Amino acid sequence: ITILESYKQKDLNERTNKLKIALKSYQDDKEHAFEAKAVDENIRLLQVQAQFEKEMNQQLVGLPLNETVHKCITTNNPNKANKLKSDFKIPDKRFWWIKLKALVEMRDWPELERL
Amino acid sequence: MSHLGNTHSSLNVNSLRDLARKELTNVLDSVRGKKCLVLDPNISGPLSLIAGFSLLKEHGVEKVHYLQQGPLETELKSLIYICRPQLNYMKYIAEHIAHHQKDVVSNYEYNLFFVPRRTMICERVLEEAGITIGEYHLDLIPFEDDLLSLELDNTFKELYLDGDYTSIYYAARALMKLQTKFGLIPRVIGKGDCAKHLADMLLRMRKEVAVDDPSSTLSVSQNVDSLIILDRSVDLISPLCTQLTYEGLIDEVFGIRASHVEVDSAIVGPASQKSAPAAATSTSNAASTTSQPSTPAKKKKIPLNSSDRLFVQLRDMNFAVVGGVLNRVARRINENYEERHQAKTVMQIREFINKLGGLQSEHQSLRTHTGIAEEIMAYTVTPEFNKALEVQQNLVAGIEINLQNEHIEEMINRQVPILQVLRLLCLLSLVNGGLKQKSLEFFKKEILQTYGFEHLQTLLNLERLNMFVKQGSASSKFNYVRKHLQLIVDEVDEQSPQDISYVYSGYAPLSVRLIQCVTKGGLTPISNPVGANAAANPIGTGGAAKGIVGWKGHEEALKMLPGKTFDEVQKLDDGAIHSKKFAQGQQPRVTLIFFLGGCTYTEISAIRFMAQQDEGQREYVIATTQIVNGNSLLSSVMQKMDNLGHSAGGNF
Repeated sequence: ITILESYKQKDLNERTNKLKIALKSYQDDKEHAFEAKAVDENIRLLQVQAQFEKEMNQQLVGLPLNETVHKCITTNNPNKANKLKSDFKIPDKRFWWIKLKALVEMRDWPELERL
Repeated sequence: MSHLGNTHSSLNVNSLRDLARKELTNVLDSVRGKKCLVLDPNISGPLSLIAGFSLLKEHGVEKVHYLQQGPLETELKSLIYICRPQLNYMKYIAEHIAHHQKDVVSNYEYNLFFVPRRTMICERVLEEAGITIGEYHLDLIPFEDDLLSLELDNTFKELYLDGDYTSIYYAARALMKLQTKFGLIPRVIGKGDCAKHLADMLLRMRKEVAVDDPSSTLSVSQNVDSLIILDRSVDLISPLCTQLTYEGLIDEVFGIRASHVEVDSAIVGPASQKSAPAAATSTSNAASTTSQPSTPAKKKKIPLNSSDRLFVQLRDMNFAVVGGVLNRVARRINENYEERHQAKTVMQIREFINKLGGLQSEHQSLRTHTGIAEEIMAYTVTPEFNKALEVQQNLVAGIEINLQNEHIEEMINRQVPILQVLRLLCLLSLVNGGLKQKSLEFFKKEILQTYGFEHLQTLLNLERLNMFVKQGSASSKFNYVRKHLQLIVDEVDEQSPQDISYVYSGYAPLSVRLIQCVTKGGLTPISNPVGANAAANPIGTGGAAKGIVGWKGHEEALKMLPGKTFDEVQKLDDGAIHSKKFAQGQQPRVTLIFFLGGCTYTEISAIRFMAQQDEGQREYVIATTQIVNGNSLLSSVMQKMDNLGHSAGGNF
């Protein structure tokens, strides 16, 4: 179960590989359906982050999902944020909280008005 | 051996301190000449309660270093290491030795003392290093007359998550030591699987001692009539609640270590060194042990113990009252100062001057505590704190559980620190006997996405500990326990409390309620005055306030709580237990309470309050493996992620 040590790996590829091993061991076990899903999601997140990182020139890999969304909004990439929202099924409520905070941070009052 | 009975407590815990001190000097004297002491940073705090720096100096210690990674530079050739038997420490020591051996003229002498016992595996690591290994049996450290601690930091995690029972062994050894000093404790009562383990081990050790040396049979203790062992896993709810006593809140906000708290020196104002004699020794000790570069932010260590009279008054109070008391004391001190104007005669002036010293130290401690209280106040008025507190109180009281889910969700969305969220979620799970599958997965997902996926392991740990789980078939057992033991008291008078529930402003800690059951056979009815306890007691007619009742009458509630229940009688071999009747009413009986896996300051306060209610009939001495609060409890089981530089909460 503690193959999650993969976090110690600095390199992204290494990390995803380790996570995939973890994923496998979780999938073998019905008890850990949730964990399997979570690990799977994490792998996907890392991949998306790596992709966005290239496109946006921002440090993203390893951040929690919320902060990734936050970064997307503060760097004027609302489409990416929305994509993350639908990809990872972020509940509306939480998404708006993130958006609110991010917009306040940017002092983007007109955008806030629009919400 | 030593004689019982001194001014404060019938159990003379100071003799334990003397013993520890004596053993320490033996350790130091075992190495001749000038030497350098290398300390485990986790031990230096407790050690400073045993001996000041001056004592170390007397025994030839020239320098004190912390045991840490990297080479150790010292011109002294004799080194004494004192540390816990932990593998990473062994590695550091091996590193030191390897580093020294690079020198051509290396003739260092190494001495290593394990606290409290050596372990095989640690000896293995250093097998070939040419090092003298010994043990320093530092176990129960007296914090106060009624409070002893083993200061083992991670027992909760080790016992319940890792299934590592070494700390039980340490605890049993420590209790054996107590018994050889104060006599055999005739009755051992407890609750919880690990507690049972400890009791069994204790009984076995006693038999072993008897076999090894038949002449040294222990006589029955004259004072201590019972030992109550409580397992932390029995009552996880109390530590998860926010503590509301003064000392408890200091621990929540600043963190207390080895009865010292570190705060910004700005908070307590310009401090004079002579504030209290104890302060001077311990701060000088702390200053001299820091071989590291001092931290830029100026911190001041403040001792929190009974040498500070004001603190004694405040520590166990509900924080709501503290402000008022501080105000009153301030006014009184002011009045005392004013007295000097009335002093006319030389006699009066001299009298005033005599008082002045005491007055000034009082003034100083007042300033300190006002500063601390203000800081806590600033924390308690924040909306987050109050929201969390409200959720907590509703949860333990069982009011509108479902509404609380939403509150917690909102807190996650606001990204409040994860520990706070986890505390509430665990509480939710514990009072409900688990969460519904759907909401459990919802919360898990929320946490992972908000705080990072690395917390998956944390969640798994909590699940293993039964702290955050899917709901079982049975409905909440806690409801029954709550009702049976009257854990919720609606009307709390924080000014002049009638019941232990004042410590959490309405919730009586389950652990302490259980102790009440054992010692009194029931609860103190809130409406009755204290004296009428015995009459109102259905079980132990007449003698209820005097004898130990045991679990009788509460079996049902106990069954609802996890772990085994036990009640053992330790007899002398000739069965002389009954012939040595306790001198009725002459000396207060002492109950020793042992918390396995840690206890909180608030529980300590509640027990002290109970002792007060008993009006000297019974005294309680608390022993614990360590002192915990909700945060330290949870962070010990959290996945450590130090190497992830950018973890959750960076820019929020």
